[in-house]
Amino acid sequence: MTDMTLPPDHRPALGERLRRAASNGRLSAALILLPPALILFTLFVILPLGESGVYAFYDWNGYGAPEDFVGLRNFEQMFGHSVFSVAVANTVKIVAVSLLVQMPLALLLALLIYRQTPTNAVFRLIFFVPYIMAEVAAGLIWSFVFDGNYGVTASIATSLGIEQFFVLADRELAFYAVMVVIVWKYFGFHMMIYIAALQGVPEDQIEAARIEGASRTQIVRHVQVPHIRPAIAVSAFFAIIGALQVFDVIIPLTNGGPSNQTQTIVTYLYEFGLTRLRIGFGSAVGVVLFVVAVLVAVFYQRIFMRKGTA
Amino acid sequence: MAEVRLENITKAFGHVTVIPDLSLTVPDKSFTVLVGPSGCGKSTLLRLIAGLEQPTHGTIRIGDADVTRDEPSKRGISMVFQSYALYPHMSVARNIDFGLRLTKMPAAEREARLAEAARVLALEEYLDRKPSELSGGQRQRVAIGRSIVRNPKVFLFDEPLSNLDAALRTQMRVELAELHQSIDSTMIYVTHDQVEAMTLADQIVVMNRGRIEQIGSPMDLYDTPASVFVAAFIGSPKMNLVSGRALGRPEIATIGIRPEDLEVAESGGLEATTRVVERLGSDTIAYVRVDEVGDLTVRLPGHMRLSGGERLRLHADPARQHHFDADGRRIERVTA
Ligand SMILES: Nc1ncnc2c1ncn2[C@@H]1O[C@H](COP(=O)(O)OP(=O)(O)OP(=O)(O)O)[C@@H](O)[C@H]1O
Ligand SMILES: [Mg+2]
Repeated sequence: MTDMTLPPDHRPALGERLRRAASNGRLSAALILLPPALILFTLFVILPLGESGVYAFYDWNGYGAPEDFVGLRNFEQMFGHSVFSVAVANTVKIVAVSLLVQMPLALLLALLIYRQTPTNAVFRLIFFVPYIMAEVAAGLIWSFVFDGNYGVTASIATSLGIEQFFVLADRELAFYAVMVVIVWKYFGFHMMIYIAALQGVPEDQIEAARIEGASRTQIVRHVQVPHIRPAIAVSAFFAIIGALQVFDVIIPLTNGGPSNQTQTIVTYLYEFGLTRLRIGFGSAVGVVLFVVAVLVAVFYQRIFMRKGTA
Repeated sequence: MAEVRLENITKAFGHVTVIPDLSLTVPDKSFTVLVGPSGCGKSTLLRLIAGLEQPTHGTIRIGDADVTRDEPSKRGISMVFQSYALYPHMSVARNIDFGLRLTKMPAAEREARLAEAARVLALEEYLDRKPSELSGGQRQRVAIGRSIVRNPKVFLFDEPLSNLDAALRTQMRVELAELHQSIDSTMIYVTHDQVEAMTLADQIVVMNRGRIEQIGSPMDLYDTPASVFVAAFIGSPKMNLVSGRALGRPEIATIGIRPEDLEVAESGGLEATTRVVERLGSDTIAYVRVDEVGDLTVRLPGHMRLSGGERLRLHADPARQHHFDADGRRIERVTA
């Protein structure tokens, strides 16, 4: 809204702008403050990225210098590998569940507890606990829950008098269990975003709608959700990017199994790249993941997070 | 028939009783203004009538119906908020007909009502805009439009003009008065601006700490304030309140003299020194100091020659003085 740049024809020449910047101290500030950030960013972000971009074209086990240049073979293998397809499909399912189950659930809970009351504060804390818990711990806890001999599922089976079942060892059920854990682990994060946004909705607009005869759901739909649309856009963005990177919950739960049915792109990278010492192959997976993430980020920002639509 | 009756209304928030036992009748088709200092419970009373708050005790009737436990939307009221409470993501037209769409009114009827409201409020050109693209006065009109289309029995206004600048406020005041004449519904209007109260009201209710100090027409309150509180609240500039002792009437606790009831005299009266003189064109307001009595405000003709630091004598017509006892209650003078 307060875009201070002048229209192109009024814009001073580059030399003129530099001279102005130098005289008001901005240039020296930039020259002093920029290098540390640039150096750190280059060292820890750009260089590793560039390196793995290079390794992706080598067959390399991580020791010594990569010498065995194989061109696109790593990529060909990856796209031809049935487990990679499973991993991609699973990642897509996680994105879908995050958007279609986790976010609505988070919104529903946020609507129930966004007002500042003592009981709501307690519920907020309870719902937020999974999110602050370490991923590995969460995975372990749930692996106990799903344990067919001693876990909660075992008690359920016993009380229902049915045969014990091993959810995490079942090819059909295991990934559903993983998705349950992911929803459980991260809904609190989205809920907090919505709570903060809902608290910013002016109370009198809600009251005005009540006076006009809007029901609770109509108020949500016509007043509250439109208000928090920017927050929803941001939370969906985090949901997608987060779903692309799911890894640490899965390792203690299923470790990608049974028979690779619960691999995601990142566990696939870990399993077939790192643990098997095929750093070149792992780098290729990493490059693909990075490109997808960047494309998502760019297009998402273009489409959903512009001023006009947000 | 949409008289509003509050019977023995009490409202407490937790341990704090904001309104202790208040009864009030707002006559059908009247323009009733609630005035009082900040925090006295005006908004709370309005929100009780609207149904946005529930009374702790007491009954609220609108027309013949007891609406105490009814939902706001079932009470036949509409409310204009101080902040306007427009929906920022909807166009002006959607803001105005939002409630009608919710009730699934036939489109033809809905459009007719929208068009009529837009015409009355001169909003026709702006129907497709968003509230953020309107001026303060236009937003105010949209908020009023949203109230009008619902054909309520009772309109509630909570300080609707307080976010507007002085000129616009005067203009909207006139428009509200016209609106009341044209749609003759009952209107209940909260303000702490006593000029709005005086100019708009048929009936003014002066509130103080959740209680009613006095109810009456504007001129009743002006001519015969029932208490020091009302005397000080109604009228601009404020009434001068002086202790009776200082004016040689020790049996009266407080004597009130309106600034316009003081006039400059050749001799006798009170000897005063002007401190500040304000020229308003039509009037001159002089702030003067009288030894032993204190500071007084005097309203004089516009072309009065007067400047700060001058000495003058002031005469107050005893027949136009207001007398109050030690509790601040009015003492009726025995008129000869
Ligand atoms: N929801 C609430 N919870 C607790 N106290 C409240 C609540 N709403 C109002 N109050 C208290 O009730 C009293 C009356 O408030 P109210 O808003 O009715 O005042 P008002 O006369 O409208 O004042 P103003 O002119 O400033 O708008 C105040 O002391 C306020 O602090
Ligand atoms: Mg108020």
